Amino acid sequence: MTRRLLPWLGLGLVVTVTLAVVLWPDGAPSDSARARALAEEFRCPECQGLSAADSSASTSRAIRADIRDRIEAGQSDEEIRQAMVDRFGESVLLKPESGGLGLLVWGLPVAALTLGAAGLALALRRWRRQPAMHATPADEALVEQARS
Amino acid sequence: MRAALGVLALAVGTSAAVLGIATLGLGLRRGDERLLRNGRRYVFVVLAAAALAAAAMEWALLTHDFSIEYVAENNARATPLLFTITGLWAALEGSILLWALVLGGYLAFMARRFRERATDPLVAWATLTGLAVALFFFVLMLGPANPFKTLADVPSDGAGPNPLLQNHPLMAFHPPMLYLGYVGFTVPFSFAIAALVTGRFGEGWLADTRRATLVAWGFLTAGILLGAWWSYEVLGWGGYWAWDPVENASLLPWLTGTAFIHSVIVQERRGMLRVWNLSLVIATFCLTILGTFLTRSGVVDSVHSFTQSAIGPMLLGFLGIVAAVGIGLIAWRGDRLRAPGRIDSPVSRESAFLANNLLFAALAFVVLLGTVYPLLAEALQDRRLSVGEPYFDRMTTPIGIALLFLMAAAPALPWRATTGEVLRRRLLVPAWTGAGVMVAAVVLGARELAQVLTFGLAAFALAGIARQFAVGARAHGVARVVRSNPRLYGGLVVHVGVVLVAVAIASSSSYSTKREVRLRSGESATVRGYTVTYLDSDRERSGQKTTVSAQVRVERGGDDLGVYAPAISTFPNSTSGIGTPSVHTGLREDVYLTLVSSPNERGRVTIGVAVNPLILWLWIGGGVMALGTLIALAPSLQRPFRRREPTPAVGLRRQNDEEREPVPV
Repeated sequence: MTRRLLPWLGLGLVVTVTLAVVLWPDGAPSDSARARALAEEFRCPECQGLSAADSSASTSRAIRADIRDRIEAGQSDEEIRQAMVDRFGESVLLKPESGGLGLLVWGLPVAALTLGAAGLALALRRWRRQPAMHATPADEALVEQARS
Repeated sequence: MRAALGVLALAVGTSAAVLGIATLGLGLRRGDERLLRNGRRYVFVVLAAAALAAAAMEWALLTHDFSIEYVAENNARATPLLFTITGLWAALEGSILLWALVLGGYLAFMARRFRERATDPLVAWATLTGLAVALFFFVLMLGPANPFKTLADVPSDGAGPNPLLQNHPLMAFHPPMLYLGYVGFTVPFSFAIAALVTGRFGEGWLADTRRATLVAWGFLTAGILLGAWWSYEVLGWGGYWAWDPVENASLLPWLTGTAFIHSVIVQERRGMLRVWNLSLVIATFCLTILGTFLTRSGVVDSVHSFTQSAIGPMLLGFLGIVAAVGIGLIAWRGDRLRAPGRIDSPVSRESAFLANNLLFAALAFVVLLGTVYPLLAEALQDRRLSVGEPYFDRMTTPIGIALLFLMAAAPALPWRATTGEVLRRRLLVPAWTGAGVMVAAVVLGARELAQVLTFGLAAFALAGIARQFAVGARAHGVARVVRSNPRLYGGLVVHVGVVLVAVAIASSSSYSTKREVRLRSGESATVRGYTVTYLDSDRERSGQKTTVSAQVRVERGGDDLGVYAPAISTFPNSTSGIGTPSVHTGLREDVYLTLVSSPNERGRVTIGVAVNPLILWLWIGGGVMALGTLIALAPSLQRPFRRREPTPAVGLRRQNDEEREPVPV
């Protein structure tokens, strides 16, 4: 039994170690990575649908420069977000808030997926308990009739 | 004259749809076969009317007939020929006309394919449903979305198409492809409604519409990827997908349609999931209407919502009717829909398909919720909010990775139940291949979870697919492997395309480099090993557009890769300039050049230089997906086409279906 399982256990081990290496925290992100990540969270106010990180419009450049300045000045991510909201209104945030109405958009899919998975598990149990049916001669005759 | 011809064609189409519906309805009520045979003929009149209306519009566009408002708004004397022709789908009214034309085409195909079964109530009800959908679009065009509305004061010249829409030849292919996909789902939808009405929701309607569904899915896939390509080549921000509401609107029916294509197999094999399949088809059709509503009524701000109009309420009303009819019919037939199915093991092909459907449904839900969230916020709390990439990426990435895992593992699972021995033989080597690639990626420096998992699962999937082809080749010979079961191997080829697309998305989303350089003529800058030299710029006027382009030489390690010319164009009907990127395409990476600002008084330009890895594989992957769809459409050598009658209850099916197992164990 264990010999059969060995290749799978080895696979699990390799995957786990690899993922652990990937997930191992390697210190705080660099300033430029922080600036880039923040710029991705803000909408370019003068264009539609693009983030300040992706757009080359002049307001987006200004936002990017502003983020860099604020990071250098030692502001936290939250302070920078608040500063952007104060200047452009809350529609500048591309990431929905984590409370209030935002709960809907973050929580509903998770809830739906959990419920769906639970429902599926229940259905699988029910289906497995259902007896397998075998065709009776009467059934076979019905099929023949339908096929002819 | 042209306007009158167009309106006449629309009136004929409307009447034909009404007469067809009435004839078929009466025939069904009375059981009169003559009426049923006559009724289906109106479908061809509808197609002819739509074609005539579209031809009238093209004639008006080509002759610059500015007495028609649509032509005056979307065409100008200086518009190039190609974009004069594509003017048919440059704005709302013309798009609806294209929609009606494509729908007429699909309905005519349907009527022709089922001509010998014209008196079959299933076919008659399906035709009636299709005609009802066509009627809605014709009424829409006679009412608020009239493409042939005339102007009292005829302008001497038109405004021309939206600048973004006259910038790239892909404009000629992307919208028609998308519409061929969108509208194609009307066929399975019509049959689903017919199956519910007639009570024949066995596997008959699925077999009847399998090809139409695949055709629609293939076109939709191609249309979405062509849209991404257009976005990459035209919009100039260096990406191909911005989670724009219009993009989401095209993705939504694709997600439910993909779920349907998979769950159909469970119903065909095991007779289960009848309600679910009917719901998926109806949902897919609803989502195409919802997409049109979102994008064409101006309800959400987006690059594509070029128009604001009064057709929003009509589309919303139609959506409500379709949803109500669908849900009502399912509720009415609920008691008869239950099938005595049975699933023996959670580790089986059918369970994997169920998990696939759960994930696709969740993905569709996330995209839908994210798209309508700003509307909800405005309606409920009167707040202007936005949702974008950070939300969609965070939510869709885990689901996408779970789907990749299923795609890698599920095709190897046997139906019903499995043993450790089968899993070992079929999955162990592919799984180790995936793990090896993961390790290699990490050794080479990849440190992002989503990317590492995507690369590993991609290798897992590819190895599994290769194994299945090898097994098939051993059984049928290399030359006949695909033809032995086109549906299976076509599906696997589609999976190869999905792997390519997934790897391209994962690489380009995190290993792109983007910089802006300010250069004077003759100066160079180096971005990730590429040296770009600004040579010169020039200004050119053609038609309505004025273009400033910069000549930029791209070199890598001394190799001259050529001179590229990113440009900015300005049009009289738009205040902001439209950037035209210029891309050096390579198998490994693209160099994506944009002109950010034209030469200033000191002759300096700002050039955006982005190096995007593996982008080309996104389009190649799309091509492979299209190829796989074509293969899946081919007739099988092994199992010649046989017409399926409505299948009797499932319990009667043979318990042992091993001989139909496509891959010998």
